[in-house]
Amino acid sequence: MYIHKINCISPQQTFGDPDLEALLPAVEGKMFAREPAYEGVPPGMLRRMGRAVRMGVGCALPLLKDLKPDAIIVGTANGGMEDCIRFLNQIMDYEEGMLTPGNFVQSTPNATAAQLGLMTGNRNYNITHVHRGLAFENALLDALMLLKDKPTLNVLLEGLDEISAYNYNIDFLAGWYKKEPVDNRRLYDTATPGTLAGEGAAAFIVNSSSQNARAKVLGVHTLHTDDRAEAAEFLQAFVQECLPAGANVDILISGENGDLRHHHFYESAYAAFPNCEVARYKHMFGEFGTTMALALWLACLQQPYPSHMIRQSAVHKGKYILLYNLYQNRQHSAILVERL
Amino acid sequence: MSEIVVTGLGIVSAVGYNVAENRTALSQGKTGVSHLSLFDTRYAGLRPCGEIKTDNDDLRTKLNVGEKGVTRTSLLALHAFEEAVNDAELTAAELRESGTALVGASTVGGMCLTDELYHDANRDAIGSDYLAEYDCASSSIYLQKRYGIGGWVNTINTACSSSANAIMFGARLLKQGRCRRVIAGGVDSLAKFTINGFNALHILSPEPCRPFDRDRSGLNLGEGAAFLVMERAADVKNRKMYARLTGYGNSNDAFHPSSLSDDGAGPQLAMRQALQEAGLEAGAIDFVNAHGTATENNDWVESQAMLQVFGTPPAFASTKANTGHTLGAAGAVGAVYSILSLYYGELYPAIHFAHPIETTRLVPVLQYTPRSIEHVMANSFGFGGNCSSLVFSAR
Repeated sequence: MYIHKINCISPQQTFGDPDLEALLPAVEGKMFAREPAYEGVPPGMLRRMGRAVRMGVGCALPLLKDLKPDAIIVGTANGGMEDCIRFLNQIMDYEEGMLTPGNFVQSTPNATAAQLGLMTGNRNYNITHVHRGLAFENALLDALMLLKDKPTLNVLLEGLDEISAYNYNIDFLAGWYKKEPVDNRRLYDTATPGTLAGEGAAAFIVNSSSQNARAKVLGVHTLHTDDRAEAAEFLQAFVQECLPAGANVDILISGENGDLRHHHFYESAYAAFPNCEVARYKHMFGEFGTTMALALWLACLQQPYPSHMIRQSAVHKGKYILLYNLYQNRQHSAILVERL
Repeated sequence: MSEIVVTGLGIVSAVGYNVAENRTALSQGKTGVSHLSLFDTRYAGLRPCGEIKTDNDDLRTKLNVGEKGVTRTSLLALHAFEEAVNDAELTAAELRESGTALVGASTVGGMCLTDELYHDANRDAIGSDYLAEYDCASSSIYLQKRYGIGGWVNTINTACSSSANAIMFGARLLKQGRCRRVIAGGVDSLAKFTINGFNALHILSPEPCRPFDRDRSGLNLGEGAAFLVMERAADVKNRKMYARLTGYGNSNDAFHPSSLSDDGAGPQLAMRQALQEAGLEAGAIDFVNAHGTATENNDWVESQAMLQVFGTPPAFASTKANTGHTLGAAGAVGAVYSILSLYYGELYPAIHFAHPIETTRLVPVLQYTPRSIEHVMANSFGFGGNCSSLVFSAR
């Protein structure tokens, strides 16, 4: 599977022409996305969209200007949580009185893929994967399987999630965010549980043609475990299976997020691939269920990463890139990319 | 390519706690739609629903769930999952293998806990036992953890077609060798969220619903869970095989966020793709397990789409009047009923039907009918225009 067009909306300057040098800060533990001026979306429609749908639609539409993909595949952990809880609050505050259905319709996690189909008149395969921290990985697997089955297809693949006041509150109460104020430049120096909240969207046009492609996805795999040895074994086996004979991992894009409880899993990964460059990104995007979509976007970039991303540098040709992530201490994933 | 076969079934719905009870109830034309007695909402006396009449404490006891923080959605999923894996004679060791995949589906997830979610989301308390349980993936993750399922685990949400897509995704995992066996299906429980949502859209009926009837007045919500165990025929050897999954199709109607286009472009495409995948002419389908929610929009559009695809549609019926509309579980519930029709050679009667829609004159199956069947199509259409069709064929 080859990646052709890419786009990304994130808390950094990633939309359109990316500039990752200037690291933008977190605000009160949250990394909010810099939403661009959404061109091509009617203002009335834009107003009705919640943030998640708006980011998802706004990120993907520029890739669809002269292409009608044969499939729209979205991964999102939560979808439009803000709309969802707004509707819930209506239910509670008005004691199930007369309610307006707008938030209800917008709140379904399939709303982004549905809106994209609707706005572009696309009646092809359309699906939304919602498996929490592995929602995007399952969407990626879906795309891989589709292209293996039907090599002539073009696929829109996207991952997205929003910070809502509500999912922030729920995950805060569950202990997934830091209780103390944190400067995102110092995220990896902390020795406490929790991380920064984040959000964003990354979209890709993928197909089976290597011509003019940016990158090739060599494989994706996932695992549910809280066992360190099992996770390490999973990562090694995955790389062994997907990496061409004689090749080495040149860059490890690590999902390290400053959460003390996750740290030893990443240490195992670093130990397993001691000679590659290690780049980190959660200080730029924060943590959410579909960060691997943004990590995959990073893997497709041609320019070197800014120094604030580099944990360990190495002399390399930057060809084979391993992405490893752990979400909420249980959901592991790995993607292997060959940069072209 | 080895064929995909169904080797285990599990279901819990308002008409029964297992496959056998569901089959008996359908055969006898029974309904589980009634006034709510367990679920607390101001619509309890006003909007009949397909409620499973066992409360969460009794479900926990029955299923031997001791830990805190397990929602009704996860309990119902566990109920159907256990039946399906036992039916397929899968061992605990087999469930832990890396070749065992789970593909779930849900639209409500843990949002059945309206009050807890309200307080947690607005952070006006210290946090309930359910902080990790609200999302759609929570029931799949619960099952993964409980059984240590070792292969791919996924959850899909395409609104009311969610579990049809879960079955489709599971079949594709099998076909491409990503797993050796897959347990695929879906679950949803009744929630204030959906009752109020559908009510605000004016599509909840104040009376027992009447799919495909001229005078239909909207849908009844239901709750339930259903799972299929699917494997490659070559791997099954001497165990029971209920049916083959031969076709599937997924299309988006691309018309409106909460209603289907008049000509049913999306439903037509889903059905045609499923036929194509199965390598069948439309005339080969003996029965359609229709989505048939009894809303004005769905039944009209589905009728139009069936007329377009089939010319003269085959025997068809919807079971939403029996179970209520189980949303994320509906595709899997329809799949289980379709497979029972194939396996036992019988069609179940549509209930509460009196008058056909005047312009279509389509009349569903009205009597319990023993009949040998080769191919069944099961339809599921959802908000966001997500339409899916499955084709199951006799062994």
